[in-house]
Amino acid sequence: MSAIFPSAEWLEGLESKLNSDQKYAQVAKNWEGDLIFFIEPEGGLKEPLTFYLDLWHGTCRSVDYDPDPEKYSKPVFTLRATYNNITAILTGKLDPMTAMMTNKLKVQGSLGYMMRNVPTVLDFVRCAREVTTDIR
Amino acid sequence: MQPILKIDLTTGKTEEYPIPEAWERDYLGGASLAARLLYDSLLPELDARSPDTPLLFMNGPITGTAGPTVGRFVICGKGPATGLWAESHIGGFWGPELRFAGFDGLWITGKAREPVYLWINEGRLEVRKAAHLWGQDTYETQTLVKEEVGRSNARVAVIGQAGERGVWYAGIFCDHGRTAGRTGLGAVMGAKNLKAVAVYGKKSTLPLARSGLYAGVRSASNRALRQDNQSQVMHELGTASAANYSEYLGAMPARYYHQGSFEQADNVSGARMSESILSGTSACHACVIACGRVVTLEDGARRKGPEYETIVSFGPNLLVDDLAAITRLGELCDRYGMDTISAGNTIGLAFTLYEQGMITPRDTGGLGLRWGDVEAIEKLIHLTARREGIGEVLAHGSRFLGRYFGREEEAVQVNGLEVAYHDPRGVSGMALSYATSPRGACHNQSDYFMVDWGNTNEDAGIGYFSRHDGGEKAANVARHQDWRTVYNSLVMCIFANIPPQTQVDLINAACGLHWDVEEMMRSGERGWNLKRAINNRLGLTRKNDRLPKTLLEPYAEGGSAGYVIPFDEMIRAYYAARGWDLRTGRPRKEKLFALGLEDVSIDLWG
Repeated sequence: MSAIFPSAEWLEGLESKLNSDQKYAQVAKNWEGDLIFFIEPEGGLKEPLTFYLDLWHGTCRSVDYDPDPEKYSKPVFTLRATYNNITAILTGKLDPMTAMMTNKLKVQGSLGYMMRNVPTVLDFVRCAREVTTDIR
Repeated sequence: MQPILKIDLTTGKTEEYPIPEAWERDYLGGASLAARLLYDSLLPELDARSPDTPLLFMNGPITGTAGPTVGRFVICGKGPATGLWAESHIGGFWGPELRFAGFDGLWITGKAREPVYLWINEGRLEVRKAAHLWGQDTYETQTLVKEEVGRSNARVAVIGQAGERGVWYAGIFCDHGRTAGRTGLGAVMGAKNLKAVAVYGKKSTLPLARSGLYAGVRSASNRALRQDNQSQVMHELGTASAANYSEYLGAMPARYYHQGSFEQADNVSGARMSESILSGTSACHACVIACGRVVTLEDGARRKGPEYETIVSFGPNLLVDDLAAITRLGELCDRYGMDTISAGNTIGLAFTLYEQGMITPRDTGGLGLRWGDVEAIEKLIHLTARREGIGEVLAHGSRFLGRYFGREEEAVQVNGLEVAYHDPRGVSGMALSYATSPRGACHNQSDYFMVDWGNTNEDAGIGYFSRHDGGEKAANVARHQDWRTVYNSLVMCIFANIPPQTQVDLINAACGLHWDVEEMMRSGERGWNLKRAINNRLGLTRKNDRLPKTLLEPYAEGGSAGYVIPFDEMIRAYYAARGWDLRTGRPRKEKLFALGLEDVSIDLWG
């Protein structure tokens, strides 16, 4: 399922993709950790946006679109980016490693764990790109 | 900056040398200023270990302040293995202490009649006998000298037995494990019969042109640096944090650069270290990153943990995946006072030649050289440092070893300096970094692997290219080299991921300048070209800008399998970006004039 970013349909599409993609299942088989994304308004996004994914051993156990951040107070990773930077990653204009290393994507949580699992991070981004048909 | 103390060890004569203002402005300090200062004395006819060859310890204009990662100093001269410009950077606390003692450099020439050490106590120099210290390792020497001068808070830069015996990759060490490892300047110090330099000072006001402004900029930059993703990774996992990623890309060489993947990479990663032997972290003067590792092994002693280069050198490079063993091998080199990159590389070549049958048990005194054999590696380190048996050949580095056994082309080195452990087949920008670095195959004159991993900097004009792009990234590499030359003139750690504008603000506040980013980069370009000109005078030509055969062959496996570096295309594009002459390998006249290097142009071109 593909959809326009950002939308609840897009997040559901990503969940579905992560649970059906064989390569992701293999690459991310050791990954343990949920993520919450905070997207700061910029360009086409007028209000802050939050979305949540619970990733576990190559699957996506649940997603939540624009939840109350208090609901997920202790995620393993918290990621923050502006709308333009996140859409640049999704459209392939910004390399995800560049985004992290240049602080365009701020990461809270164990960066060491992230570095140890870069292939998982890159394959997650691949899946996210593949479900993105357009940017709002 | 403060004056340089000139010391002639032959005559005992000393002199305070004020740094010419114009040179301080044009070169800032550190390695670039050292190149300017040594330009007239690094002559082709001088052997690196001749008494007349100078050895210069230099600070930068913000060394010893509370600025971001400014605890480092640099040592410059001529390399015994390369015969070219030599430059080696080192962290810890010695550089700041020299500053607190009232000097920003030590310019050492001559040769003492017998082993000596220097004691610089609040600006006063004393030359002391060191015959009783000769033969002690780098750790013991620091402890003994501190006891003798009666100051436990003195800082001591030393050589070990490798430097005394002239091993071509002997380094200079301080603060128990901080290392100026590359280019063999420990052997140059040993040739001067100089065992150590101890410094102590308590000067609290450093020469900063606009100190109030500087304080504001450095506080803000340290705050930002603490929040930086890269700083946090370095703090959490040390420099080996990216071992897994590097291996994934096929950029971490194994089996002496012949194997493009290493299944056990996670066993030697920073993450594994933090889960197993790590017991603390260490930092250089005023550093907010603290990338240094402290580990505890089975004997219960807390000791320096290995950083990425040492890990790969004695790990995947030799097919070892035991972090405790790697830690011990690294410490052995530190104690003897030898560079771990060159030591592991040279041993890797010995293993390769043994496998090929070029080295036999008759050459090694019956010692078998088989991949993964930690005991054999340890024995070779002892033999090398003592220059015994096959160690006499290994002590001259990989180019010499290859030549000795008729296989020079197998040595993975450029101009006599062993290649570090960022394989250009995984991160192609390193092809140019290694081939054109002024000190041989060096990863610190431009750590372009970071850019190929994604650490671009638009404000510095360093953009994104794919890690396997060719000539199109040549100008980007040159720009990155210029920027890192600024780091090396400030003697600022390259792990400081700070915006170029912040760097300019620090420079302006410290030096009373009014530069913008472009002017700062021009200073870097000037330093890079001046070092190139020194090397040209020492005989370097276009033919020296090369990669070893092994790196030009593709890997059969791993994240870069099949990739062949388009080196000819890259080097041509690089020359065009640099304004260098393809026929001679020299910077063109107009380039030198544009950089204010008219005198150098006359020397090179008439």
